[in-house]
Amino acid sequence: MPAFKRSSQQTHVDLARQVTNVALERGLKLGDHLPEQAMSDACGVSRTPIRSAFKLLESKDILEWRPEQGYFLALEAPDAISAALSELEEMEDSLSDRILADRSKRRIGEIQSVSALARRYGASRTTVLFALKVLSRDGIVTQLPGRAWAFQPMIDSPQAHSESFEMRLSLEPLALGSPGFALDSKRAGLVRTRTEEFLMLDESRLTAGKFHRLDVDFHSLVAEGSGNRFVRSTLLGHIRLRVASRGGQTVPAFRMLQSLREHIDILDSLERKQYALAADQMRVHLRRSDIRRPDAANRGLSPLAIGSRS
Amino acid sequence: MNTTPTIALFPEASFGAALNCVGIAQELRDRGAKPVFICHPGFTGIFAEYGFKEYHLTADDTRDAPSNERQWEEFLNTHLPTFDLSPFDQLVPYVAPTWEAIVDTTIAVEESLGRLLAQIRPDAILLDNVIMFPAILKADCPWVRVVSCAETEIPDPAVPPYLSGLAPGDTAACSDFRKAYRAATQAAHRRYNAFRRKCGLAPLPDEFFLENSDSLNLLLAPSSVRYPREAPLPEDRFVFLEGCVRRESPFEVPHFPTPSGPLIYTSFGSLGATDTGLLGRLIAAFADIPARFIVNVGGYFDSYDQVPDNVFLGDWFPQPSVVAQSDLFIHHGGNNSFCEALYYGVPSLVMSYCWDGHDNAQRTEATGLGARVDRADWTPDSLRETILTLLADTELHARLKAISTDMQRTPGPERAADAIMAMLGREQRNTAQHGARNETV
Repeated sequence: MPAFKRSSQQTHVDLARQVTNVALERGLKLGDHLPEQAMSDACGVSRTPIRSAFKLLESKDILEWRPEQGYFLALEAPDAISAALSELEEMEDSLSDRILADRSKRRIGEIQSVSALARRYGASRTTVLFALKVLSRDGIVTQLPGRAWAFQPMIDSPQAHSESFEMRLSLEPLALGSPGFALDSKRAGLVRTRTEEFLMLDESRLTAGKFHRLDVDFHSLVAEGSGNRFVRSTLLGHIRLRVASRGGQTVPAFRMLQSLREHIDILDSLERKQYALAADQMRVHLRRSDIRRPDAANRGLSPLAIGSRS
Repeated sequence: MNTTPTIALFPEASFGAALNCVGIAQELRDRGAKPVFICHPGFTGIFAEYGFKEYHLTADDTRDAPSNERQWEEFLNTHLPTFDLSPFDQLVPYVAPTWEAIVDTTIAVEESLGRLLAQIRPDAILLDNVIMFPAILKADCPWVRVVSCAETEIPDPAVPPYLSGLAPGDTAACSDFRKAYRAATQAAHRRYNAFRRKCGLAPLPDEFFLENSDSLNLLLAPSSVRYPREAPLPEDRFVFLEGCVRRESPFEVPHFPTPSGPLIYTSFGSLGATDTGLLGRLIAAFADIPARFIVNVGGYFDSYDQVPDNVFLGDWFPQPSVVAQSDLFIHHGGNNSFCEALYYGVPSLVMSYCWDGHDNAQRTEATGLGARVDRADWTPDSLRETILTLLADTELHARLKAISTDMQRTPGPERAADAIMAMLGREQRNTAQHGARNETV
């Protein structure tokens, strides 16, 4: 069951991002050729969507088309590619995603009217209303009496982080341990390959962006495999909220690698159909991932008063 | 020397000291040592995320202690207003109770620290703090003092007094500050000395809460901002570090709806993040400045709304990786922030709150490596003018580039790790010679 509807354009943007990640992780350099078939194999899709993704990347000068030869990498610096991709994503994102992204960055307030949003985004009232209804389906906004809309809480405070963690700690092991869990083996293979490629990277190339994309792919795979439809839809909705809420979050390289090895261990257990073990491993993985920065004010407050929240 | 010496790093409960020690620990690990961390309760997991084993302190009795939330509320209500005062005027309402709290902590964790050191049995202890814990002197191994605050922490007649924010030439004001500091810290000092005596240690002179190590002392004081001393510190025991910048994950600059303009990073540390009033006014002022701003708001993200399109907020950033890509760093004068700005050749705009932030604010202004702005006395127009002037100053950028090149030639964590390993070798040779002499006798 899909978590939320995605336009074909959005799918192409996702795929374009995936193609770029594969190119970066394989260490391709400026002027290197990107064979369609190799990318098709790496991304687990046919060559037709790969061609569309290539065209999108060409439109942002990330790839260059050479007649009779195909597509070649036209940018090399990861930062330049990342900036071009972000621009592409922002440009192509659906209005609902842009509204959600702006709310998550606190650029728009909690209560919004259709006309205010229409002015901000230069869109028609009908388009804005449609976007709000998409967000409403995921429980992210609620229509108030009258014409105003209210955003639901995001994961953007220590308390919200605690509640999100508590919920995931209950539901993700449940997704793995409850009857009917079915692993999408093709996607699992893809997640494993990309994770293993990341684990091989030099420390200087372990960016938080790549890590979070792998993390989301893994936890979405777990959620989508759940045999319990309510657990599945709740977790997928929550993943979307987590993705939207993430602001500048980074993780030290050691923990990124440790976390991804834990993903591989869980996948190993799932492939052996040891679901109870996978559920226990998920608990450990989530507990380890819940280290949060303390509010440290050593000058004037006893550090003993700063209790651990983990 | 033990081929895999265990080195216990004990930073105080602040991110500056903690992450400075992470930088040194990363280099010690590369040299084959086994660095482990002794940490305060709130820091559980922070060092593990960098791959280091942690040992956790506990207080002897916290049954009657108020809750974490209540302590924070009291702290903010009591101290936040004092940050608008001058360094001199902060002595009684802020510095004095802060020393009392530091002494309280030292007494409360003594037994726990002793137990942990007996369990770890380190070959050396690295103390990055402003006070001595008697259990360290009683441990049967050498210890290293790390001065991760400003250089003013080690006094000298030619260096302005610690926490004063004064210039060395301002002798009358320096003298007045020294007297007032001694008076303000006297009660805490007396209580601390009584505790030392109880633990079998000699008391320390007035104003001193921590002695220098006989083995090794590391000071985070880059040569570009170092003071000439009347009594130079002996080179065999005192090693100056060109900052102490840890290795961090790369940082991807986020997408801004306003995609161009210089990048300015703003962080006042975890303490400064509590001042949501000041940060809110700054964020509003940033809206009219042609630049992109990344702002560390700590755990107070949900205190902000209507964030301008050229501002990106986050609760935590891999600071060295962000500073490396920035054109200007607005900070509180914390010594790690100050050193990181210099290390990457980025001008500083310092708005100091307290403690050695005042000393670094003064030093920034005196050396012309940035600007000092009074946190309680600025307008959006004056701030804009200061920022644009710093960004446009090509001579300043050229000087900073040269400083950065020099500092990166001898990175602080590498220098520190080399000095610690050499010290361990010396200590072991001394022990062996001492043992041989005893046998001969």
